[in-house]
Amino acid sequence: MHKLGRGHRDKVQQFMTITGASEKIALQALKASDWHLEGAFDFFYSQPHIKSYTDTTRLEELYNRYKDPYTDMILVDGITLLCNDLQVDPQDIIMLVVSWHMKASTMCEYSKEEFFIGLQALGIDSLEKFRERIPFMRSELKDEQKFHEIYNFAFGWAKEKGQKSLALDTAIGMWQLLFAEKQWPLVDHWCQFLQARHNKAISRDTWSQLLEFARTIDPALSNYDAEGAWPYLIDEFVEYMNENGIIQNGQFSDRSQK
Amino acid sequence: MSNQKKRNFQIEAFKHRVVVDPKYAEKTWKILEHAIHEIYNHNASGLSFEELYRNAYNMVLHKFGEKLYSGLVTTMTAHLKEISKSIEAAQGDLFLEELNRKWNDHNKALQMIRDILMYMDRTYIPNSRKTPVYELGLNLWRDNIIHSGKIQSRLLSTLLELVHRERTGEVIDRGLMRNTIKMLMDLGSSVYQDDFEKPFLEVSAEFYKVESQKFIECCDCGDYLKKAEIRLNEEIERIAHYLDVKSEAKITNVVEKEMIANHMTRLVHMENSGLVNMLLDDKYEDLGRMYNLFKRVPNGLSMIRDVMTSHLRETGKQLVTDAESSKDPVEFVQRLLDERDKYDKIICQAFSNAKTFQNALNSSFEYFINLNSRSPEFISLFVDDKLRKGLKGVSEEDVEIILDKVMMLFRYLQEKDVFEKYYKQHLAKRLLSGKTVSDDAERSLIVKLKTECGYQFTSKLEGMFTDMKTSQDTMQGFYANHPELAEGPTLVVQVLTTGSWPTQPTITCNLPTEMAALCEKFRSHYLGTHTGRRLSWQTNMGTADIKATFGKGQKHELNVSTYQMCVLMLFNNADRLSYKEIEQATEIPASDLKRCLQSMACVKGKNVLRKEPMSKDIGTDDAFFVNDKFTSKFYKVKIGTVVAQKESEPEKLETRQRVEEDRKPQIEAAIVRIMKSRRVLDHNNVIAEVTKQLQSRFLANPTEIKKRIESLIEREFLERDSDDRKLYRYLA
Repeated sequence: MHKLGRGHRDKVQQFMTITGASEKIALQALKASDWHLEGAFDFFYSQPHIKSYTDTTRLEELYNRYKDPYTDMILVDGITLLCNDLQVDPQDIIMLVVSWHMKASTMCEYSKEEFFIGLQALGIDSLEKFRERIPFMRSELKDEQKFHEIYNFAFGWAKEKGQKSLALDTAIGMWQLLFAEKQWPLVDHWCQFLQARHNKAISRDTWSQLLEFARTIDPALSNYDAEGAWPYLIDEFVEYMNENGIIQNGQFSDRSQK
Repeated sequence: MSNQKKRNFQIEAFKHRVVVDPKYAEKTWKILEHAIHEIYNHNASGLSFEELYRNAYNMVLHKFGEKLYSGLVTTMTAHLKEISKSIEAAQGDLFLEELNRKWNDHNKALQMIRDILMYMDRTYIPNSRKTPVYELGLNLWRDNIIHSGKIQSRLLSTLLELVHRERTGEVIDRGLMRNTIKMLMDLGSSVYQDDFEKPFLEVSAEFYKVESQKFIECCDCGDYLKKAEIRLNEEIERIAHYLDVKSEAKITNVVEKEMIANHMTRLVHMENSGLVNMLLDDKYEDLGRMYNLFKRVPNGLSMIRDVMTSHLRETGKQLVTDAESSKDPVEFVQRLLDERDKYDKIICQAFSNAKTFQNALNSSFEYFINLNSRSPEFISLFVDDKLRKGLKGVSEEDVEIILDKVMMLFRYLQEKDVFEKYYKQHLAKRLLSGKTVSDDAERSLIVKLKTECGYQFTSKLEGMFTDMKTSQDTMQGFYANHPELAEGPTLVVQVLTTGSWPTQPTITCNLPTEMAALCEKFRSHYLGTHTGRRLSWQTNMGTADIKATFGKGQKHELNVSTYQMCVLMLFNNADRLSYKEIEQATEIPASDLKRCLQSMACVKGKNVLRKEPMSKDIGTDDAFFVNDKFTSKFYKVKIGTVVAQKESEPEKLETRQRVEEDRKPQIEAAIVRIMKSRRVLDHNNVIAEVTKQLQSRFLANPTEIKKRIESLIEREFLERDSDDRKLYRYLA
């Protein structure tokens, strides 16, 4: 909020007061309408997901369906069941998006609070509505800003509780998943490189910088700047690519490596 | 007239006109004309100055200045034309003399004429803006004599001919030259320059071009420079004797250009006699000459400097990377010191100690000393050798000199922290074996290191000295408290503070019972006075003196290491011991034990033990006996050695690893310090600042710095800026 100018801030406040929406939604609507309040309202009310009213009792019911018999949380079995109900593969990236909405702290479990927060934010209080929202969630992945947030969220979510870094195998799995969506041509080379050379956990800085790297540096590495303050691991990766002849002088060479 | 408060006096001119006879002017002029003639004919003595003056005065007064002036011009010109003829008529060498003589005459005449016509000089001439008499006289001389067709070129060629003759070794009439040149100078600087100086410089340039070409073909560098110097001095002397002082710079430029600048490169690189050869052979005089001559020429000194630098770097590089010299560290360092002394002397004696040359010397040394990564270790070994024995009997001043020279080499090191590590190790060994030649020398060097690198560098080293001193006191206290132990073996313990001394792994070793008991007593005594401390015995660093009696009654005192003592004491209770038994009893690790046994059983002159089989290596199935036949010339036999040695490869790697590990926290500390004060800083600047801060200890690797930054990000000391990923922010 502090990055906005005074006029914009006021508009956001106004919007939030009138519609009762959250700051995030207010920003979204205003941005979409180029900071015209009228247009923002239109946007807001035309969006199906901003129906903020969800029936809490029905949410309770839904929660109880999936919650674990012994703890007040939804665990692996519950999640599997939920995926079945949604007709979605548990490995589907959509579950990551769902977790993101829930602000889930760790994968494979949802607390009651997280479940509620997430579903309310999405305007879901029934399985039907849940299924209806899936295409919308898929579209969120295409949004640059949201993908960025989801990607960074994934690090904290995927790592073990109490650990600072993300285990290599998990990281590779997540990367495969995420970059299938975003289409980064070097993702396979990256994963190979890590397994061959690194064999240690991934730090948060490396994780978030990798997205930047994928976004800004072209796949032939021609605009890679060695003084560019990239994490050391990424520098090593570039070296690896050069050494193995995959990249030569900023060009992809014909030899591909398996 | 203006309206002034103060009124000036005004004197009005004569109101009445003096009637003048029209022929008066003509008559008066004739008198003066006649006088001028007489003056030129050397007949002036018959003239009355006063009368002539008055005549001239009157003419001017009656407004006949014009007539007087033009008359003067005509008369003088006429005379000069005649003079010109007589000069032209002079033959050969007499030409110049005649010219000079006539010039002198003219000058005298001119002075007289000017005196006579002084009134006109002061009144009519300024008013009518005509040239004053004296100057007029000079101009007329110039125009009628010097610039006369027949004289002008002849004059010039005569003068140049004389100069040339003098250059080729003849003696010429310098007085004559001087006067002639002075004449030209008096006539005006443009006359001197156009009629003499310019052509003179051109001809000289030609002369020296030819001369330098001739010399360079047949002389070697040193000789050539000598000749050039001689010529230069000659020209300077010539100026002093008979040319205008202002020409000095110009002619020296010519000589410098033709003889030096044009041949500079060829001289410097001349085979067998060029700069490099002079340096190699310490030819101070030649080098000094070259320096003085090249100093006069643009880029001369920088050429010398560059050639010297690249030669020095090349030689240094070879010295340092030569495999042979790396075998003996002391030799290695000595050669470096010698090389430095050599160049120091050259710069001092021949290059007038010029700062730029000193800098070139320093930068060259800095360059090649760091080409060999073992330089820090070797320098420490050199110092070790000196402090152990090399400085024995050397005077205090000389000790200081040597240590100062070593410090100079130290300054060139990029990896000073590596030196520190080795120095600590070597110092520890020296202190513990009591093998230092002079305590003062040790301390003096520590002080020098402190001055150079700051307190931090030497605080641990000083701690080591303190420990030694404290241990002495502790031992005194121990024996004072336990007078009953005075009869038994004498124990000397050095209590070392772990942080100050090089880290050693504690190795197991079973001491003989007598020693073990004594050590326990010491331990309880010490811990009694220093509670909360932990002592661990470093058996791998100790020594022992034991008295031994051999089979035939030979008595010797053996100086051995602690390990060796443990082994030998076992033979008090057994005649034969197998390797395995010894190993079991002493629990000394295998590699150390083998080395220890080898030194006692396989080395001639120190073989207090006998081994079966008699092979050189220690095998696990060997058996050992006391060598009853042991003999030695000396009563005291030294077997154990704890001398600092050049490290073996694995040891070297280990030390290097430890140094690298030590660097990591230092880099991190530097990063944190910088970020704390700057708050926000971009990546490249962080690298630059960190490198600068650490430069006095070692050259920080940018990749390593980057890794440390990432580590700090992970530990949440720093973060990346959310907008500019190259910017780092300090997290309080």
